[in-house]
Amino acid sequence: MRKVTESDLPGVGVRFDLQTDGGRNVGVVAHQTGRRDLVIYDEHDIDRACESVVLTEDEGHTLGELLGGSPVLEHLDDAVHRLEDLVISWVTIGAKSSLAGQTLAEATLRTRTGAGVVALVSESGSIPIPAGTERLEPGDTAVVVGVPSAVKAATRLLTRAG
Amino acid sequence: MHTGGDLLAIEPGAGVLGLASVGSVDSSLVVELGAVVLGLAVVARLARRIGLPALPLYLLAGLALGQGGIFEVSATEDFIEVGAEIGVILMLLMLGLEFSTHELIANVRRTTLGGFVDLALNFPPGFVAGLILGFDPVVAVLLGGVTYISSSGIVAKLVADLDRIGNHETSVVLSILVIEDLAMVLYLPIVSGVLFGGTALDTTVTVAISLLAVLAVLTFAYFFGERLSAFALSQSSEALLLTLLGGTLFVAGIAGRLNLSTAVGAFVVGVALSGDIVSHARGLLLPLRNLFAAVFFVFFGLQVDLGSIPDVAVAAGVIAAVTVVTKIATGWIAAGRVGIGKPGRVRAGAALIAHGEFSIVIAELGIAREGDLGALAAAYVIILTLVGAVLYQFSDSITVRARKRRHARA
Repeated sequence: MRKVTESDLPGVGVRFDLQTDGGRNVGVVAHQTGRRDLVIYDEHDIDRACESVVLTEDEGHTLGELLGGSPVLEHLDDAVHRLEDLVISWVTIGAKSSLAGQTLAEATLRTRTGAGVVALVSESGSIPIPAGTERLEPGDTAVVVGVPSAVKAATRLLTRAG
Repeated sequence: MHTGGDLLAIEPGAGVLGLASVGSVDSSLVVELGAVVLGLAVVARLARRIGLPALPLYLLAGLALGQGGIFEVSATEDFIEVGAEIGVILMLLMLGLEFSTHELIANVRRTTLGGFVDLALNFPPGFVAGLILGFDPVVAVLLGGVTYISSSGIVAKLVADLDRIGNHETSVVLSILVIEDLAMVLYLPIVSGVLFGGTALDTTVTVAISLLAVLAVLTFAYFFGERLSAFALSQSSEALLLTLLGGTLFVAGIAGRLNLSTAVGAFVVGVALSGDIVSHARGLLLPLRNLFAAVFFVFFGLQVDLGSIPDVAVAAGVIAAVTVVTKIATGWIAAGRVGIGKPGRVRAGAALIAHGEFSIVIAELGIAREGDLGALAAAYVIILTLVGAVLYQFSDSITVRARKRRHARA
């Protein structure tokens, strides 16, 4: 995930900036009112918005979908996203983990920690709501859901030895 | 939801009664008031046509209508005076509505240095100029405030009109403006205390009490702002408008009674309100604010003797020139701190040049003590809003030309 920098605009909203591999800077101004400005910065004066397109909340969502509806928000907060008192975490399964190579049924993660695996993501594709026969392969990512303490315990089991 | 419908549901008989009571007011007052407001309408259209802020033109209109002007208003002066007071209160209320206490605190933490540079560079020119001009020290402190504070209203409008909200330096500019507005919350009670206090001990006590009161209200707003807002919210826009206006005038009036300055009272009410009520309140109050703020600037102009303008014109020009330099330096330093390039740093500085509503609010406090302060502040604000608007608009072509010249030399 790319680095997105965030700047407050008091009384207006928040601005997000992103630099592309091509060296161009683009940004989004998220107004408190729901309005979104899509901003493109000048190549010679990278602080100057040379083009700025005003989008309504709806248009912003549509454009986001067209660009590949990305999970930007989940990644902003260090791959941990809070929903009320639930936490979703993206955990890369460690090679040294005692659970590496086991099936979900063998690992009994939910019984041991209280946190459940809601998806497995590997290079060959992702498996939403995996069955008990799916394996926890080292290097793959497990999407873990639960209360913070449970997710923490599950993360420890999935990443460390012992 | 109720709209304006309630207002129209008047019994047929009441119309006759209403007409009779209106008829008892001196009709020349109504005619004069109509003429003044129509005059302002022409001015506002003119400002829009030439793409400049309307504020300096309102001031000019006030000057033209006042002592020694082309046409003296007399019948409506009392009304305009009350209207002006309401104008200040509404301006500050709307400003306060833009921020919540949580936002203000986060912002102060982030922009402390920029805010400090701003104060250190822009307060002294006015203060020193006041002393040189032979004003008494309290009035010199007021003049320092006049030169310190940029116009958040004009700057915000310039930024939006020129499509520069997305520019990197804009977050720096807005943060500095917020710090300035917050500084006013401490500055206004202090100067009011000093202006209206008697002995040194009296004054110290007044100032201490007023600062404590401001802190108490802000603390209250921090913890109970949301509950208060939920309580004040109403489905009927009429009821909401009356609640907001009545509540704010009441609090501002009490603040004024305590020598806290009505302006600060209104600002604090605005900050305390948060959540759903804010967007409703903005929509309802904006037209009223526009009307009464215009009345306030006219009123300020009315109090200034047109004949005294030439005497202070040179001083105002010099102080304005110094301010252009110190504000550009402020933007240059503050934007440089967060890694913004040279053109952006110049833009940040140019954005901060425009002075307006607050400078006039401050000068208004001292106009009774020192008549020249009014004329000086009016001339100063007129110069800086115009110069600021033009420089901010053309700051890019200035830096681009400088770059080209350097390239040519190299």
